[in-house]
Amino acid sequence: MSTQTMNSRPKNRTLSVIRMQMVNRATYLWVPILVLGGSLVVTLAIWGILASAGVEGPLYGGGAQAPLWYFAVVGVQALALTFPFSQAMSVTRREFYIGTLLTAAITSAILAVIFVLGGFVEQATDGWGLNGYFFYLPWVWETGPVGAGVVFFVIAMLFFTVGFWAATIYKRFGNVVLTGTILAIALILVGLMWLAGRLDAWGQIGAWLAAQGALGLALWGALLIAVLAGTSYLTLRRATP
Amino acid sequence: MTAVIEVNSLTKRYRDTIAADNVSFTIEKDTIYGLLGRNGAGKTTVMSILTAQNFATSGDVRVFGEHPYENSKVLSRLCFVRESQKYPDDATPAHALRIARLFYPNWDQDFAERLIDDFQLPLKTRIKKLSRGQLSAVGVIIGLASRAEITFFDEPYLGLDAVARQIFYDRLLEDYARHPRTIILSSHLIDEVSNLLEHVIVIDRGRILIDDSTEALRGAAATIVGDAAAVDAFTAGREVIHREALGRVASVTVRGELTADDLARLTDAGLDVGTVSLQQLIVRLTQAAGGAIAEDATASREPSLDIESATLDKEAQR
Repeated sequence: MSTQTMNSRPKNRTLSVIRMQMVNRATYLWVPILVLGGSLVVTLAIWGILASAGVEGPLYGGGAQAPLWYFAVVGVQALALTFPFSQAMSVTRREFYIGTLLTAAITSAILAVIFVLGGFVEQATDGWGLNGYFFYLPWVWETGPVGAGVVFFVIAMLFFTVGFWAATIYKRFGNVVLTGTILAIALILVGLMWLAGRLDAWGQIGAWLAAQGALGLALWGALLIAVLAGTSYLTLRRATP
Repeated sequence: MTAVIEVNSLTKRYRDTIAADNVSFTIEKDTIYGLLGRNGAGKTTVMSILTAQNFATSGDVRVFGEHPYENSKVLSRLCFVRESQKYPDDATPAHALRIARLFYPNWDQDFAERLIDDFQLPLKTRIKKLSRGQLSAVGVIIGLASRAEITFFDEPYLGLDAVARQIFYDRLLEDYARHPRTIILSSHLIDEVSNLLEHVIVIDRGRILIDDSTEALRGAAATIVGDAAAVDAFTAGREVIHREALGRVASVTVRGELTADDLARLTDAGLDVGTVSLQQLIVRLTQAAGGAIAEDATASREPSLDIESATLDKEAQR
């Protein structure tokens, strides 16, 4: 009996989850934009000081990553606080999951568009007249604006998914399992690094990374997102609010 | 009558406690149920399994004839705002109600606004900053205005003052009369809600202690008061659920309805008969089920299930 119910599932509930996540626009829109704008202003001020001290550039700033880190926090909050509420709204775990990841995709896309537009502005103004580049990182832009947009999108999604993944494991299994999982992953990475050193493979790895380029690495990032998102779903299916 | 919920041999085991122990019951359509019992008796666990928020260790739960888990056709007809409900970070009551409106097909906005007014709920204050009573009001408004076919209220009155609680009971009954639906009200303020309830399920330590209509429970027990020897003579062979004594006077609560013959015998023996409220009945049965029949040498007339401190305990847990 219950296997037939998927067909008659009310259609707009996943969209309602997006609206639920977006109902407080501060979390998904205004705060990341504020973080981005704030870090841009600070970076420009520093470049102004450097320029007045006669530094020629080109100058590159890492401040653009600030809102990306915030996306990890959003990923945690989307689960830790909104999942229990979604349960009170009689939303299925599947609807919550799909709606929440779509919300993350929409905001990541908005952020990517802002980054690409910022890159255009920097190209047109020769780096704000200071020869300083906040959005236009040549390494990221080497395949053009679309490629750069994809890279920014994947990075934002990756941060969100990592936060969401960690929060899901915490919710389902608690702190000890989450810490243990992160520790295990760290140990595996250290082991791989040791192996790379043993096999004297660092040169090859460096060459491979360089060959991938930013876009190629972004596609590997997309694969990582898929793995994390898939794991999150399996974990969420039996999580309790 | 049609059953909207069927629970069959439901067991829920946590690491070292058992929250539901082979529980079976049915819930009929368009009836107000009281799910009563002490804190930690398993009320919230049962309700969260019925709404697929939690998972059974074993046993079967059917809602509208189907499994509720990941079943949005069933879930969209249920509303369960838990007593310790979490809300999105930085959300205000206005946000929460706007979201509830998205998800509940029968949502009545006018009714919600009237309730906001009744409970004087500030809409623009962040939920984190609300008082316990205002927090309860958010859940109560969602529960009432959603008009879900099955609505669960999980200790909905915590922190609400007497006036606000009365508003809740009044609005619930008014709206239930106009829009009949199934209501499951979990509570330990038994006296206060007993007039609302049509059917009572008492759960204690994960087991069902009582599952009966409120009507049948009235007169399901009586208290015999008088000379200890005469009282004991009368109650011999009956199911005693409570006994207290002060000097030579005893007060013994027995289960079962008294016949006209019994009443005549009591008058002859010079014994008094007291009625037993639903709350007293439940308290006594819960104590009796706990093993020792409480023998209060102090002859305290108050039920020893301390409602006030139980409420405070729940609040302290938050």
